[in-house]
Amino acid sequence: MSRREGSLEDPQADSSVSLLPHLEAKIRQTHSLAHLLTKYAEQLLQEYVQHQGDPFGLPGFSPPRLPVAGLSAPAPSQAGLPLPERLRLDAAALAALPPMLDAVRRRQAELNPHAPRLLRHLEDAARQARALGAAVETVLAALGAAARGPRPEPPAAATAAGVFPAKVLGLRVCGLYRDWVSRTEGDLSQLVPGGPA
Amino acid sequence: MDIYLCSKRPSWLVDNRRMRTTSDFQWLLSAFVLLYLMNHVNSQRKETPYDLKCTTNNLQTWDCSWKAPSEAGHGTLSEFCIDNRSRSCYQLARTNIEIPALSRGDHEITIRSLQDAGSSTSKFILNEKNISLIPDTPEILNLSADFSTSTLHVKWNDKGSVYPRHSNVIWEIKILRKKSMELVKLVTHNTTLNGKDAVHHWSWVSDLPLECATHYVGIRCYVDNLLFSGHKEWSDWSPVKNVSWTPASQPKVFPQDKVILVGSDITFCCVSQEKVLSAQIGSTYCPLIHLDGENVAIKIRNISVSDSSGTNVVFMIEDNVCGTVVFAGYPPDTPQKLNCETHDLKEIICSWNPGRPTGLVGPRNTSYTLFEGFSGKYVRFKRVEVSTNESYHQLLFQMVPNQEIYNFTLYARNPLGRSQSTILVNITEKVYPHTPTSFKVKDINSTAVILSWHLPGSFAKINLLCQIEIKKINSVQELRNVTIKGVENSSYRIAVGKLNPYTVYTFRIRCSTETFWKWSKWSNKKQHLTTEAIPSKGPDTWREWSSDGKNLIIYWKIWAFFSEAYKGPEDFMNPISLALHDLQTEQAVGMGKGILLTWHHDPNMTCDYVIKWCNSSRSEPCLMDWRKVPSNSTEALIQSDQFRPGVRYNFFLYGCRNQGYQLLRSIIGYIEELAPIVAPNFTVEDTSADSILVKWEDIPVEELRGFLRGYLFYFEKGERDTSKMRDLESGRSDIKVKNITDISQKTLRIADLQGKTSYHLVLRAYTDGGMGPEKSMFVVTKENSVGLIIAILIPVAVAVIVGVVTSILCYRKREWIKETFYPDIPNPENCKALQFQKSVCEGSGALKTLEMNPCTPNNVEVLETRSTFPKIEDTEIISPVAECPEDSSDAEPENHVVVSYCPPIIEEEIPNPAGDEAGGTSQVIYIDVQSMYQPQAKPEEEHEKDPGGGAGYKPQMHLPINATVEDIAAEDDLDKTAGYRPQANVNTWNLVSPDSPRSTDSNSEIVSFGSPCSINSRQFLIPPKDEDSPQSNGGGWSFTNFFQNKPND
Repeated sequence: MSRREGSLEDPQADSSVSLLPHLEAKIRQTHSLAHLLTKYAEQLLQEYVQHQGDPFGLPGFSPPRLPVAGLSAPAPSQAGLPLPERLRLDAAALAALPPMLDAVRRRQAELNPHAPRLLRHLEDAARQARALGAAVETVLAALGAAARGPRPEPPAAATAAGVFPAKVLGLRVCGLYRDWVSRTEGDLSQLVPGGPA
Repeated sequence: MDIYLCSKRPSWLVDNRRMRTTSDFQWLLSAFVLLYLMNHVNSQRKETPYDLKCTTNNLQTWDCSWKAPSEAGHGTLSEFCIDNRSRSCYQLARTNIEIPALSRGDHEITIRSLQDAGSSTSKFILNEKNISLIPDTPEILNLSADFSTSTLHVKWNDKGSVYPRHSNVIWEIKILRKKSMELVKLVTHNTTLNGKDAVHHWSWVSDLPLECATHYVGIRCYVDNLLFSGHKEWSDWSPVKNVSWTPASQPKVFPQDKVILVGSDITFCCVSQEKVLSAQIGSTYCPLIHLDGENVAIKIRNISVSDSSGTNVVFMIEDNVCGTVVFAGYPPDTPQKLNCETHDLKEIICSWNPGRPTGLVGPRNTSYTLFEGFSGKYVRFKRVEVSTNESYHQLLFQMVPNQEIYNFTLYARNPLGRSQSTILVNITEKVYPHTPTSFKVKDINSTAVILSWHLPGSFAKINLLCQIEIKKINSVQELRNVTIKGVENSSYRIAVGKLNPYTVYTFRIRCSTETFWKWSKWSNKKQHLTTEAIPSKGPDTWREWSSDGKNLIIYWKIWAFFSEAYKGPEDFMNPISLALHDLQTEQAVGMGKGILLTWHHDPNMTCDYVIKWCNSSRSEPCLMDWRKVPSNSTEALIQSDQFRPGVRYNFFLYGCRNQGYQLLRSIIGYIEELAPIVAPNFTVEDTSADSILVKWEDIPVEELRGFLRGYLFYFEKGERDTSKMRDLESGRSDIKVKNITDISQKTLRIADLQGKTSYHLVLRAYTDGGMGPEKSMFVVTKENSVGLIIAILIPVAVAVIVGVVTSILCYRKREWIKETFYPDIPNPENCKALQFQKSVCEGSGALKTLEMNPCTPNNVEVLETRSTFPKIEDTEIISPVAECPEDSSDAEPENHVVVSYCPPIIEEEIPNPAGDEAGGTSQVIYIDVQSMYQPQAKPEEEHEKDPGGGAGYKPQMHLPINATVEDIAAEDDLDKTAGYRPQANVNTWNLVSPDSPRSTDSNSEIVSFGSPCSINSRQFLIPPKDEDSPQSNGGGWSFTNFFQNKPND
């Protein structure tokens, strides 16, 4: 299959094919960013839990993973999708996350105004998710698998009526951020030369 | 009101006023009649109308009802008549009637039942007191609920138009909860009727959120009209109304995001269609209170302050979690230390301390509004989410033109309450200027500069008070306050004079207003060197002739810049030569770094005085410094950084006269005296048997370090290594001390000492500064020869006198002495017992080892021989053995037989049976020392008889017991030997001991061995166990003890 055609329908079959140096560097760079953000996302989730009070920090307390409007969790069924498709889903999720993270930060600014570290990390997470999403799209474009058509507008930030639902929603958003960054790292690792085929 | 009475049969119940006025007798009678009539009435009950009851619900009409006679059928007419001033009768086809309210008092009511068979009449006395006031049942117009606040609002009409005015009405409202309608609240509410219908409102806040369960409300009333004398009763309860909440499909917890006061109680509920498993607040689980359906509640008591993000309340449902957050905090504290001031008269800054933290943040945080009363303007405090200084808030208020007085009120508000503080300020008196900037210094001349700075603010209408700090190097800072008029352009400049030329100054400035409130912060420092100026006077000089008078030495001092030095009239006047010996040198001691010199006023001194000083130890020319003081002074405190304690200085006071300076006084002094650093060097000039003369030298001035006040001389007996004079200050009694305060004294004679004795001498000097070190010396006094001679001569003289007297006495008593001490000794030749065989002692050379020579028995008594064995009687020892040699030698020089004492001689103990002794046999007991202490050479029986044989003397050899007398040494040998000399031929002695075992074994010439010496050696000859012979034991023991204790003598 010609790469010039901009199709990457069977990337796994092509993984052995040597990529262009600049593309390889871009993939490696994006993968490194995803790898780094995976750690940050885990730290953010822990820090978020710490500031919500008991029983959020207690073991055994796991509120149900309620659906978040405009963003679904990475589904195991998506593992069977072609890699470009999965990367497109990653990019879409990463694009949807920043406004949600911003909404969480605004709510936390009211609840925990004296937790600047948490607020800063939430702000950073929104920016980093946006950056990672853009990097993934760049990789997709370089691979000739750019998203078709205009990108849909990011959904309105999910809001919750009460403080407790807002805390749960924030926890869910932070968890989704972690999951999607991790999923992106895994997907990119398949493109990295020498990575899992 | 069930009381009804026939008027024909008056009742005490109806007319109780009358009853109260009757006598007791009448009362008893009436009671009796009453019982009779009651019985009669009951018997006629079914024949006449009865049981008349009247009530009212509006106090205007009475509703009366009665029961018809039993025989009256339906539709029977009745006539109801009220007998008052105008009798009123009503024909009725029923048994009730509504009549206008009757006036007070009794009214006779006649009810006649018109039947076919005739009529029956009953009469009743009706009084208002018998009327019951029963209000109509009220009705709730509206019941609403505010679910956010869990408040029920009840609205009803009091129907006041039907009641007389000013009737008090008590409303009783009941709150029921849950479908089981459990009563949770019963409250009363008082109103007053005003003659018109009025709608009333009442609100109630539920402790349980209204969403949690259905709430029901009912109401009734009680009209309390003071003019009505009848019975008043509660109305019936109104029909209940309820409020309920339609639950959603998802479980939900109420209340949501509630803000409550710390310490209060709160109830949370979870409205759910699924079973709730547990509930917890924070990490604490709470017991569930079951409501209708699956709804549950938990009650939290005395809630504690929440974290920043609130306290989570969570209900665990299967596969789901629902919860809420409660924020427990405090209402805002009264703003403290509210203060309003301005930096620039353009903007007012009001600051305050919020006081106790509320525990609430974010949208629940306290909001502040600053309201100014005169202008009506206000500003709101913008909530700072990330505040680094919670204890200080401030608001900016733009000043109103031409307004100086401001009345500020600060309002604080949060969901739990509000508070406020007020302050009234004249803002022109509360100016706290900014820090002056652009501070610069410019020269005017050598003693003046211009300072300029920038101070932002609109101060045109006020005066500024500024403070300038002027600091010179090595000098104290100077503060100068200046008042300047405020300007609009914020630029200020002032001139600062009275500076020193060519001097480095450091300036800085700060400002306030004339009506002082606060100083601004200091501006930056500005260092500036003033310009130079010509000297204002010449140098301070002094001149002296050198000691040889050939040179004139001129001294001068550089003036410190513009110091306030005294200016003498003639600096170069020559000091008048005046020999120092004409003046008496005085002493002075200063304090610290200075010394005070005083003198009497001398009118001849017309110019001034000059005091010069120098270190006394320095060589000429000696001048450290000088100082001039005015002529009218009589004292001067001389201070110098060069002064050192312990150093002697010479001070010279000169007085100035027209022709020059004249030396007036010479003073030596110390700024501070110290202890000497060396001890006086002293020597011993002379020593006798009882005295020591000590001489010491002066201590050099440099090492004295003060005025010498004396010496302390210590002495005690002692040698170099044994002297205990360590701590001289302890005041030990055996140390003698002499305090020599005459410092001119340089010698000291110590008398009354002991001859040929070592003395420890210590000398130390002292000043007022303390004791100097010590110097010590050991001296031995000479021997006292006269005393020694006397001590020798007196005993010798006494001994000579005693000797002479003794000689005289002995000479005069010589016969008696001879008789007593030297009687004639009988010839022992016939004594066979003393015939020693020479070979006895010759057999062993060791026999001479314990030889006691010469030894002569003092008394030997020879008895007749009664048996074949010669027996020797024990010898009595009378004289000490020490005297023996002389006596024996003197007595028997020719027949001297030396019998050496031979310790190793085998003991030959001679049994001395009692029978033999009793038989008058005499015996000589020879006790063999060897046999005595060598039991192995003796039979076992003897060994057992001598338990003490193991101790004592151990002979070194064994002497054969069968040695014959032929073995005894020859007579020549015996002569050579000192010791006992038998007075008979020892060869003739028969050494037979009848008690000796060997003696008993042999009747031949072989005899038991015994030494004549043993006579003097009873210690060895007499067995210790021989207690039966005290005589021989006692005498011999004492003597031999003396002998044995002097083995070397």
